[in-house]
Amino acid sequence: MHTTPPTVQPEPTWRFDAELLRRYDRPGPRYTSYPTAPHFAEGFGEEDFRDIARRSNDDPIPRQLSLYVHVPFCRSPCFYCGCNRVITRDESRGRTYLDRLLREIGMVAPLFDCDREVVQLHLGGGTPNFLAPRLLGELVAALGRQFSFSHALDRDFSVELDPRFVAPDDIEVLSAIGFNRTSLGVQDFDPRVQQAINRVQGVDETLAIIDACRRFGMRSVNIDLIYGLPLQTLEGFGRTLDTVIDARPDRLAIYGYAHMPRLFKAQRQIRDEDLPDPETRLALLELAVERLGDAGYEYIGMDHFALPGDELARARREGGLHRNFMGYTTHAQTDLVGLGVSAISHVGDSYVQNHRDLPAWEAAVDQGRLPLWRGLVMGTDDVLRAELIQRLMCQGEIDTRQVERAWGIDFGRYFADALAALRPLQEDGLVQCPPGRIRVTPRGRALLRIIAMCFDRYLDQRGEGVRYSRTI
Amino acid sequence: MADHDLLKAPHGTPIADDGDEFTFCSTCAFSAACLSEGYDKSQLRDLHVLVEHVGPFREGDHIFREGDPFNAIAAVRGGTVKTYVNDASGREQVLGFFLPGEVIGLNAIASARYPCNAVALDTVVLCRFSFPMMATLASRMPGLQRHLFNLLSQDIGKASLLAGNYTADERLAAFLVLLSRRFAERGFSATRMRLTMARTDIANYLRLAPETVSRVLRRLQDEGVLKVDRRDLEILQPAVLGELAHHVLRD
Repeated sequence: MHTTPPTVQPEPTWRFDAELLRRYDRPGPRYTSYPTAPHFAEGFGEEDFRDIARRSNDDPIPRQLSLYVHVPFCRSPCFYCGCNRVITRDESRGRTYLDRLLREIGMVAPLFDCDREVVQLHLGGGTPNFLAPRLLGELVAALGRQFSFSHALDRDFSVELDPRFVAPDDIEVLSAIGFNRTSLGVQDFDPRVQQAINRVQGVDETLAIIDACRRFGMRSVNIDLIYGLPLQTLEGFGRTLDTVIDARPDRLAIYGYAHMPRLFKAQRQIRDEDLPDPETRLALLELAVERLGDAGYEYIGMDHFALPGDELARARREGGLHRNFMGYTTHAQTDLVGLGVSAISHVGDSYVQNHRDLPAWEAAVDQGRLPLWRGLVMGTDDVLRAELIQRLMCQGEIDTRQVERAWGIDFGRYFADALAALRPLQEDGLVQCPPGRIRVTPRGRALLRIIAMCFDRYLDQRGEGVRYSRTI
Repeated sequence: MADHDLLKAPHGTPIADDGDEFTFCSTCAFSAACLSEGYDKSQLRDLHVLVEHVGPFREGDHIFREGDPFNAIAAVRGGTVKTYVNDASGREQVLGFFLPGEVIGLNAIASARYPCNAVALDTVVLCRFSFPMMATLASRMPGLQRHLFNLLSQDIGKASLLAGNYTADERLAAFLVLLSRRFAERGFSATRMRLTMARTDIANYLRLAPETVSRVLRRLQDEGVLKVDRRDLEILQPAVLGELAHHVLRD
């Protein structure tokens, strides 16, 4: 008799548990930095930053560099957006902004030794492609002249694009400029949802851009989707998922819409009654996780999915994943230099953020000053906790004995509070604590933020109006 | 930032007194002299009346400057000290680094003035030994005199080490091997060390460009000979490093 061997199902990378997710739906930071940005203090001086940059050059092998450039302009407001942006259709504003960016680069680049190679460059916004490809070329050329770009094949030069305002031919130019990765906004293809969020974007034009990215050598394409948007339905979002999955992007990010109209003015255009109820919201997420899982996507963590052959998926499996302001990355610890309005730098053990207010940023640059607004220098406790949060988010595991040896502490005593906070999560099966280890379970991987929060010393303090989005 | 001046008269308790009868001033460069002569703690009172704990010096504080009148030597109790001179065009030339247990100011013994500058690279505490008083005592305690000469000759030997025509790899390997030995002698790990000196200082000392120092270290790291994380360095293959350094160290 002929029997077919049972197919081995790969271990699902996300165990969806609606009840658990519902219970843990509470506000929390994304930990792109620790301590988080609301704790940065104003009055971080230019001399402080120069000193920090100098010290970072003094390591026996100084860290390589990641560059982030923020382009705040958008042609049209998407109502869900809470990012730092300026709505305008005046293209000349892009030119003036670029001129100031070039001045800022001229002030910042010399602070870093020229043998420190740039292994990662990311353009975010706003809409980076508000700047025409030619201007983006000018920007990257200036960066390349004043910093040292790595020539390694695995360097990551990525740009966020709004597919509505870029043409397939532009992608060829972007590739020639040096970009090898793109991230495209989609959110939802359902026309009713698009109307409600003021982002009408055709399927065909989007697919044409994805196709162009492939044709012109982009190493990977990421698609952003959002669940919990006004008027979203399981049917509509399901069709969007099918369409997107058919296009087989290398990476996907599925964000939960955070409705905070008091903080973000544009969101006031979204009617509360149009928002999906918590049940539907969870169901939308479950649908996404299911469809992506069926299509072979692996869950990396913190809303991100990737095909198994993608570097992030491989890095996660091999323990080589890292996390910085730009999200998950394969590049080991780099120092991050942020350029442009609101951009954040992370050099050595310090964080510095540029002015979030565009006129203030402009004034500083015009006066030949570094446009620094606020920042902080991490203390030893901060560095330790930041490392633990990194490990949780990237490897899903902490080796407590190794931490004790490296830091000279008694883990149980030092982190008594954190371990107490972890206990209910242990009981819910989100983490396991065998001797010498704290391990995130498959079920817990959906709630990395909640687990990380156990190690956040600053959450105890009364938030001075600090608002975080919900974790689901 | 006010410098703690070695010229200032000692204040506070002059007796450096940490530890018990057997472990006395564990980082003291002269403890070997005392123990080898069989002096017990009460007899050492004579010696220890010379000693004064000085500091803490903050990073960047000068301990003495070139041309200051010489009146004391000092043992490093904690932190790292860098000595340097400024050449004719005002450029800094690094002369050496001093770890806990090592003595600074020895090269001033022959003259009336310090021939170089000494600066703290991080938080530094010292045991200051008034030299006039020490010279008097040395005539009464032969072990002390011998030990002083030992320290002097070690110091001179160290200085001439990197003057030869060696490759960047050889110089860096020799630097690390010597550091490793010095740490080990003081009871620290021979393979895990913290490089408190900036790469520009290391480069200057070895007469190399800073980029060269990093390039060599990166290569050695890629080859698995050592591992560098920020300022922490771990020697993974001491034998390989020793082989590289052999030509320079000739031992």
